[in-house]
Amino acid sequence: METEGQSVDLVGASVVRPFARAAILAALMGATALVAIPYPLSPAPVTLQILVVFLVGLYLGPYWGGFSMVLYLTAGAAGAPIFSHGNAGVGYLFAETGGFLWSFPLAVVLVGLFVHGTHGLRDPGEVSLPVIAVALTCAMVLMYAAGTAYYAWLIGIGLVEAAFVMAIPFVPADLLKMAAAVAIVRAGVIDPT
Amino acid sequence: MVVYEPDETLAHCLDPRSKLAFQFGFAFTALAHTTPSALVALTALTAVVLVSARVALGRTLYAYRIPIVVLAVGPLLAALTLGAPWVEPAAAVDPAFASYRVLLILLVSAAYVRSTPVRDSRAAIQRTVPGRAGRLLATGVALVFRFLPVITADLRTIREAMAARLGDERSALERAGTIGLLGLSRAFERADRLSLALQARCFSWNPTLPHLAFTRLDAPVLALAVVLVASAAV
Repeated sequence: METEGQSVDLVGASVVRPFARAAILAALMGATALVAIPYPLSPAPVTLQILVVFLVGLYLGPYWGGFSMVLYLTAGAAGAPIFSHGNAGVGYLFAETGGFLWSFPLAVVLVGLFVHGTHGLRDPGEVSLPVIAVALTCAMVLMYAAGTAYYAWLIGIGLVEAAFVMAIPFVPADLLKMAAAVAIVRAGVIDPT
Repeated sequence: MVVYEPDETLAHCLDPRSKLAFQFGFAFTALAHTTPSALVALTALTAVVLVSARVALGRTLYAYRIPIVVLAVGPLLAALTLGAPWVEPAAAVDPAFASYRVLLILLVSAAYVRSTPVRDSRAAIQRTVPGRAGRLLATGVALVFRFLPVITADLRTIREAMAARLGDERSALERAGTIGLLGLSRAFERADRLSLALQARCFSWNPTLPHLAFTRLDAPVLALAVVLVASAAV
């Protein structure tokens, strides 16, 4: 019988801990996609995914937060039922919500850079409210811009028409999620460090 | 919901890397062409893919009902005008073709999902994405699959506990905040236990991967993927 010998190159603790958090938050992102809340302003129900995007940026920072969202997209493309309404597959990355999906990693990196900067993590509870509000607003604008522009290009309709389908009906719900993210940070229960 | 189902179809026998390459090729060319003749060709190709993976079309279309509704709204809005004649059906034709190609892309990806187990996707990612990034990405994907039911159960428990305490009568902001806070706290607790378990089990950069090999069946699929990517540029 043929045997093979090689030494084991262990992954360091400084990588394992944030990696595990990134993977679990990618799963949380997927789990919230399954919690559909009927929404009177749109035929599509809303989920809490945007809230998780905010929380990933706030608590994992730009690097591991961005990785967590890349992981979410990769797992969904590989067949995990974690895209909106429990769907999966590479096709979803190019479907009607593709613009939103591709913007998630960028939005998380944006929030992470605003709140944590480029050097390590800090407790978002210690960051001033205006900084957090600006970070979340910029992330939301980025996601809406990407989602609307992609849908307009994909279907071949005007930006205003696309905004009526993909953005405007969801603004009230997403402002509420932004307020919820701020309330979670202010509660100060979770320490990301 | 479209999920992996064990079977012995042609698609189940293919290497996941060639199936992934085909999907990207199909998506690129579908996004590049919306002429009726191109859509006919893409529809025929989609039919072959669905048959080769034995995808139940009715069930899959039902699973995609919400994207289909959102895809249909675009052409309907394009047909509306702010004045007489109020509805202009001709304006909806091109958006309708554009929406239809997205449905084809979704159906092709459903064939991949039905015919590819998680561990094959994981191995394909790790063998395709080089270095340590590929290792973390592949392991992360496996962990997302593993923990999705657990985290989903956590969220369900939180919502049921809230409902039992009349939490569902509170404001939407309060409910979203509670679900977010408790969901994140539990996720972090699980992540920290997972990180300890990974270290205890010698989580390494050089694991033993499952066997994955191209066969003769993969050659035409890979060739078709290359042709599809090239046709996107034509």
